[in-house]
Formats: sequence, C-alpha cells, structure tokens
Amino acid sequence: MPLGQRVVFVGGGHNALIAAFYLAKGGFKPLVLERREMVGGGAITEEFYPGFRASTLAHTVGPLRSDIVRDMQLHRFSCEILSPDPRVFAPTPEGRALFFHSDAGKTAAGIANFSQKDAAKYTEFAESLESISEVLTQLTSITPPAIDKPSPEDFWNLFKTGRGVRRLGKAGIFNLFRWAPMAVADFVAEFFETELLRAVIAARGIFGNALGPWSAGSTAVLLLRAAADPHPVGSASFPRGGLGSLTRVLAESAKGVGAEIRTDAEVAQIHIKNGAVAAVVLKDGEEISAEAVVSDVDPKRTFFHLIDPSQLDPVFATRIKNFRAKGNVAKVNLALGGLPSFSALESNEQALRVLSGRIHIGPDIDYLERAFDDSKYGDLSRAPYLDVTIPTILDPALAPDGKHVLSVYVQFAPYKLKEGNWVSRRRDLGLTVINTLGTYAPNLSSLVEGMQVITPEDLETCYGFTGGHIFHGELTLDQLFTMRPVLDWARYKTPIRGLFLCGSGTHPGNGLTGASGANAAREIIRELR
Amino acid sequence: MGQHYDAIVIGGGHNGLVNAAYLAKAGKKVVVLERRQVLGGAAVTEEIFPGFLFSECSYVVSLLRPEIIRELDLPRHGLEILPLDGTFTPMPHGDYLWRVNDHAKTIREIRRHSRVDAEAYEEFSKMMVPMCRFVKPILSMIPPDPTTLNPRDLKQFHFLLQRFRELSSDERYTLVQLMTMSSADFLDQWFETDVLKATMSASGIIGTFLGIRSPGTAYVLLHHYMGEIDGAFRSWGFSRGGTGAISNSIASAARELGAEIRTKAPVAKILTKNGRACGVVLQSGEEISADVVSSSVDPHLTFENFLEPSELPSDFLESVRHYKFRGSSGKVNLALDSLPNFKCLPGPGAHLRGAISISPGMDYMERAYDDAKYGHYSRRPYIDMVIPSLTDPSVAPPGKHFLSCFVQYAPYKLAEGTWDEQREAFGNNVIETIAEYAPNIKDIIIGKQVLTPLDLEREFGLTQGNIFQGELSLEQLFFLRPVAGWAYYRTPIENLYMCGSATHPGGGIMGANGRLASQVILKNWKSVPFRSKAVN
Repeated sequence: MPLGQRVVFVGGGHNALIAAFYLAKGGFKPLVLERREMVGGGAITEEFYPGFRASTLAHTVGPLRSDIVRDMQLHRFSCEILSPDPRVFAPTPEGRALFFHSDAGKTAAGIANFSQKDAAKYTEFAESLESISEVLTQLTSITPPAIDKPSPEDFWNLFKTGRGVRRLGKAGIFNLFRWAPMAVADFVAEFFETELLRAVIAARGIFGNALGPWSAGSTAVLLLRAAADPHPVGSASFPRGGLGSLTRVLAESAKGVGAEIRTDAEVAQIHIKNGAVAAVVLKDGEEISAEAVVSDVDPKRTFFHLIDPSQLDPVFATRIKNFRAKGNVAKVNLALGGLPSFSALESNEQALRVLSGRIHIGPDIDYLERAFDDSKYGDLSRAPYLDVTIPTILDPALAPDGKHVLSVYVQFAPYKLKEGNWVSRRRDLGLTVINTLGTYAPNLSSLVEGMQVITPEDLETCYGFTGGHIFHGELTLDQLFTMRPVLDWARYKTPIRGLFLCGSGTHPGNGLTGASGANAAREIIRELR
Repeated sequence: MGQHYDAIVIGGGHNGLVNAAYLAKAGKKVVVLERRQVLGGAAVTEEIFPGFLFSECSYVVSLLRPEIIRELDLPRHGLEILPLDGTFTPMPHGDYLWRVNDHAKTIREIRRHSRVDAEAYEEFSKMMVPMCRFVKPILSMIPPDPTTLNPRDLKQFHFLLQRFRELSSDERYTLVQLMTMSSADFLDQWFETDVLKATMSASGIIGTFLGIRSPGTAYVLLHHYMGEIDGAFRSWGFSRGGTGAISNSIASAARELGAEIRTKAPVAKILTKNGRACGVVLQSGEEISADVVSSSVDPHLTFENFLEPSELPSDFLESVRHYKFRGSSGKVNLALDSLPNFKCLPGPGAHLRGAISISPGMDYMERAYDDAKYGHYSRRPYIDMVIPSLTDPSVAPPGKHFLSCFVQYAPYKLAEGTWDEQREAFGNNVIETIAEYAPNIKDIIIGKQVLTPLDLEREFGLTQGNIFQGELSLEQLFFLRPVAGWAYYRTPIENLYMCGSATHPGGGIMGANGRLASQVILKNWKSVPFRSKAVN
C-alpha cells in the first residue's frame, strides 16, 4: 500500500506508542486510539487517593530496550529514570535481610552473612546469567521464524542467534537447554543453599504467572526476564513522576515524528470486509476507515470482543480460545502517613536508603509454593508473595510532604475465585496484604490513610486485561516465541488481512521492554510496503 | 586377577540383560553381574508368599521395543504378553468411568458422562496416533549432540526438523503442546469431564515429582501413551508368569548367545587404568577384568559409588550430583483371599481385568502432589492397581489373587520421621484409600508387601527410589539424559558405558537403552586397546 496511509492502533499502551513511533518514522500515518483519558495502558500514574499518586499498575520499568530508547531519543524529553540501590531489599520475619545491589560484589558481601558458599556462588551466578542474557536479548528482538517457509531473514536471524549460542560454549549451550524447562526452585538450588536468597531469585520465575517455584518451566520465565535485565533480581528503576511519565514521553516522541494520538476514544469494533480490515468503529459510533489496524490489546479481546467471530477461521479461533490468560496478580496501593519501619532495619537513614528499591516479601521457596497452592484451588493466597515499592522515597512529589505511597504487587489472586467474587473479597485482599506486610513492618497498619485495591477483575474491566493477566497471557514454554500467541501466527500478523498484533500477547511479551511493539512495527512496515 | 572378559555388564535388570545379549550376539565374551539372587532388577517376579508370584515393582509392559523381541527371538525364550484391557476408574459418589480397548465401547461409556467429550475423545485418539508416530523413532535413536557441527548430529537434527515440518499445522500445534504443557492444561483443552481428565492425566506424573498441573507432564503422558504390543498402539499387557518372566526370557536369550550371567555378585568398584575402565572388583574381593564395562545401574551408583571422585572430571561429577532422582512413588503388593468388590460396580467382572485407577478428580490428583511437595506421602494418593492373577492364574494359588498397587506420591525425603517408621502407616493409608471404593478389601488381605521409596533404593538399587533411574522431566530427556554432553551411553572414562534407564529414552520396560548402548559400544570397539579379542 502506498505510504502516507493511515494505520489505526487499538489501545495506547507502551507497545502501541513505540510501534506507532516506528511506523510514523517509516512514513505511515499512525493513529493511536486509547479508551481511557490517558495513554500508557498498564504503565500509568494516577491519583489513587487525594494527594497521593502512584504507578497504579506496573511500578518498575523492564527496562526499555536500549535501541528503542536511542531511536525515540528519549533523553531529549524530560524523563528522569531513578535507579535505586540496593535494587531489592528482602526481609525475613525474624528480622534478618538480604540487600541486592547493582554491584554483585557488594551483594555477595551481604550474602556472606548467611552463607560464605552462596556469596562465592552469587558472582558466578550473576555472570552466567549475564552471558546467557546476551543470546536471549537477541532472541527477544527477532521475529519468530516461519516454520513452513522460512524467509532468508529467518535463516539469517537463526544463524546470528546460533552464532551467539555457540559463543556460550558447550557447557553454556547445555545449560540453556537444561535450565529453560526446569522448575526455578531446582534452578536456584543448583547454586544456593540460603532459602531467602533462593526465594528472591526464584520469585522472578513466577512473577505474573500461574506458576509456583516448583512448576517446571518457571526457569524459562526467569531467563526471559533476564533478557531485559540480566541482574539476578532484575530491574528496580522507575521514572520520576511514575510510569505514567515514561509513557507520556513515549507518546510525545511518537507525536514528534507525526503519529496522531487520541484518548477517550474506545474502539468498539473492528470492521472486516471480505477477509481484510476496513475500519474501526468507536463506542460513540464514529467510524474511522483504516487500511491497517494494529491491536495493542490482548489476543482474546482482539479476536473475541472487537471482531465479529464469524470472520475467524475456526482452527485459529480455537487456538486463541486455548491461549491461557487467566491472571493471578492483584495490585494494592497504599497512602501512608509516614514511612513504615521494618524490623529488619536499624536506623531511619538506612531505611531511606534500602527501601527506595523493590521490597521482596516471600522468605522461602515453600512460602512461595504455598502461596501458589491456594490459587490452584481458586482461593487468594493466605500468605501472598509481594513485590513492593515505596516510590515516594526518591520521588517525594508523588505524595504530600512527609507522607508516602506504598505500591504492592500481590500474588496469588486467581481471576476465578472458587468462593465469593472479587467485589466481596476486595477488602479481604487489601487486609491480607496489610497483615502480611505487618509481620515485617509492624507499624504499617497504623500508617494507612487510604487504600486502592485492584483485583484481577478490575484489571479486566478498568484496564482491559482480559482474564486479568498483566502479560496478556501466560509466559509458559507453550506460549513463547513461535507459539506466542499461537503457533503459525507468532509473526505479529493475523489471519485477517491488515490486522496486526503488537501487545504483550506477542513475542516476547516480557514486561515493559517495548520489544513486542518494536518487533511488530518492523513486520508491519515490511507487510505494508 | 580372575578371568578376563570382553565386556562386563553391571546389573541384571532388563536393560543390562538386553545390552549383554546384543554384545554376545556380536561375538563378545560377556558376563552380567547381578547383586541380588534373582535377575530382572525392577522387572522381577518373586514368590513373596507361598504360591503368590509378586511382580514386586514393574507390573505392566507396553513399551518393550518390538525390534528387541524380534532380534532376540524372545517368544521362543518364553516371553508371552497377555492383554490388559482398559482402565476402570471408580468414583466416590458411586459412579465410575470404564475405558476399554474397544474404542466404540469406550466412546459410549464416555458419552454417559458427556456427549461433548465423547466426540472430543474420537478426535483426541485420532490426533495421538501421529504424535506417537513422531516420537517413536526418537526412542530408537542415539541422541544427537546439539553443540557440535559434525554431520552425523546435524543430519539427525535435520531429520527431526523435516519430520516436524511434514506434520500438519494441527499436528505440530498438538506436538509442541505435548512437549511443553502440563497434562492438566493439555487435557483441559480437549475434555470437560473431571474424572476423565484426572485418570488420563495420571499417566503424566508417573515416575516424576511433578503434579498434573506442572508443565512437562504432558510429555510423560505421551511417553506412556506410546505403549505398543505387536504393533497395536497404546495397548498394555502382562507377561505370563509375571514381569520377571520378561527378564528371564531376555536372560535365556543372552545365555543362548553365549553370555555368562552371575547372580549374588555385587560390584564394589569399577577398576580403571590411566583413564580407561579395565574391570570390576566384587564386594567379595574377586577381581574381574574386561576391555569394556557397561553399567546398567544409575549414574549415582556408577560414578559416586563405584568410582573415586578423583577419577572423574569435576564438572561431570557436578552434573551427576544435579541429576534428579527423588522417587515419588511406592508399591503395595497384596495377596488376596478373593476379589475386591467395588461399590460402584459390584461383583467380579471384566472391569477387574484391566487397570483400576484411583484418580477420581483433578483436584484430588493435585492435592496428592501438594502433600508430597512438603515431605508427606499423599493422604489420599493416586493408585494404579492391577490384578494379574485374573489374566494369568499361574501367579496365585487357585481362587486367590494378587493385587498390585502402584502408589503416588511417596516422597523419598520425608519431612518427619523415616520410611522405616512410616512404612506401616503408608501401607495402611493405601488400603484405607482403596477401602473407600472397595470396602471388602480389608477382610480379604492374606499377605501384604509394602515397598517405600527407601525399600526400592535398598532392595532394588533404585537411587532415592525413582522407578525410572531418574525423573522423566524435560531437562533430563533426550540429549540431556542423564548428563548433558554424555547422553550417548559413553562416559568420561574410556570403555565405561551406561546402558540403564538413566539413559535415553528413559524408564519403563523398553530395553531400548540397552540395545542402543550396545550399538555404541560395538561401534567404538576398535578404540578398545590391543588386548581386545573381538571376533567379528
């Protein structure tokens, strides 16, 4: 199709904004339609309680892939990325704690208090993760190959990846094969003996997924995350002003090169004429014709809510139906009158330093596994695994003077409850979190001024994650790479001519890295040219 | 130094015997050294109670490679497989699910539970055929090494890739799922009936320390689905005279081919001379020298017991330590005065002739696993029962019966106490569980043998009681089994080979491991030093 034609994006999440940027640069006229009053999707900043603002959902960045940051020239915009150190503070109920600094040596020093052996192993572990992540980063930036008719580029990509893999050496290659399908609990046990250390690292393999540390394949998730940030516990950085300021900047950058962005524009339907997209219809009835439509929303919503199902090939429809996307994560944001004092920390000064990153609640592998067990039978974890941030330490502007925001990812909270529903269990969820944190920071409950609870149901209704899955679909072996979202359709194209996917439901879909959007843009441009 | 052989095979299990038979077939002077007084390893039958022939461990056969039966002419040596018809799954509320080999009948039975599933089952069965076809040749294939660029390995990978590409899109989709999914998730896509999914998913956890919801179990499901007797897909059977008869027929074939077989000959140590295996020392102190040593016992015993750490590369030893056994199952063998009487389908009948599966629901199966995760045997375990004496009267006195119960989960490592303390309770718990479906069981038991994972380790040399000599988990399959880089039956010690279930293609009475190992051994024979007396 001739350049300068309109490509309509459904949803204004970070992947859409990034893809729109590349399309605009490629000479197309992207139009991003966002249902809500602000762009960002899962990466947003909202006032959740009078005077208190928080990154309502995602509270740390992936980080974004460096080439995306470069291409979009994000440095030119006012978006300061705060990178706390230590990245992660992991307390035990007994008042001990591990601190994960960006510097492996410094971290190891702390680990030595628990185990000399582990301290020594830690640096080795960090290195092997580092070396493997290079290959994985490459894998996340290519388009999954076509199995039937691989294109010359597919061969080239595979060759490049192959070369990268061979650089790992025999042992490295076998590790890759061996680790990926492993239970992350086994994986960490191969390196470490300290339960707390095991748990903090293993948590990365279950985050956002319906997996426990003993579920096989959870190591694959950890490795996938490591592709974005090879640090053993991952990234803890976030932009000043919350995640919203990052997506706002992405939007500005996209606009800068000619992309058009409309908020409060909910797409109700994608019109299809004889197998090809014709237009999108907004909720208010406005019809916008489009030669191509790119969906940033999850596959299930795209194909079952926005399209007349009769337009779908039944085989494809079944596969999308089977795409597992039942969320297990909830989010709780607390407005605090002051900084909670953790029993594992002595001085306030220390607190201000070490609480500025992520706080990991989940002291041992069994704790994480038991949290998962509850969810298997449709119940909220009695003692959930929590990933916590207190952004106001580095970014006081988010809350009134002296007050703080505490933002919590809660796992596991199954989308489908066996008893009751999320309306009736909402309070329950909030209290569970406060009580759980109470064991580590006794004065927390007395500090709570306001609370926002985002249940898996809210993730679906307010934020558009079908099934409440923050990654648009499980990141398990059977839904990765050439199988994401489904086999034969992992190349951002869909069976409907002119309809593309660019969201987390596509390869690699590993959190806030922008990889899905950038990869999709590359394929879309090739298709449309 | 005692006498000299071309090859010593450590362990008289079915794989060791197959391995010896093929080496002897090639004209090698072979001796098999078995620790116990009986042959067969875990494929063994013993008279535990007068007149009762217990197939103590392995109790059904299915995967025994047809080429082995052919090439070793096993039927002539007394191998006779009797069909095991179907799976009967009693349910707590008085209903049941009874699948038989007669497809139409099974479909009718499933329709009783769900029309949708009846149709899906047709589809499912059709789909599994190409799946098995795809995987079968892999069972008879020496795994290629993904890290080299040598033509042989590349050719094999290309062969696999080609076969994958020849599959239809739907077949690929299913295959990829089977290789990566949990059996629960996989079956959820096909069926709605809880009991059907539960009893089918059961075969996905056997021999692993995984729950039905854990990824990787779908492959084990396929592994067991591949069962084949006389070319008939997924049919399981008994061997007349008990499982041990299989081992005996192989032993007889091996002897006829000239192999020497010694029982009560426990190996203490493998002898090496400058990096080459050159024989073994028995616990009796007797030394036996050989050009080649082939070990059918697991890596732990082979490398950590029979050899000194100093004799092995440290990284290899490290990998051996990482190799996961953690047995998850026990065995309860019962001598019965009469037949168990099931509430949901009273009286004797054909339903007792097949497998009887205590797997009434998905959550039941998953909870059984949860107990094990934290170091307890399942309060309500998954039980796979068979009554061989109904099909083969020779294994029990007239009118009496042998009930074999495979029980999962029974974790090797207990959170509290030892297995010696808990054996009794474990056995009773199994009987209690059965009694919920067949109350008369308690009154008809005249003999009871309880095998905990610890017993499997002590008695049968299965480290940590894993029936497959190591978990059948994805990271321990194909070119990763048992140790990445050493999945080709060879070891860092020259002329020392592995031929047991810990090698590709894994556990079950297949014999493929022993056969493939023999091929590798014979291929490398030229590299055996001067004193070789190779006669071919």
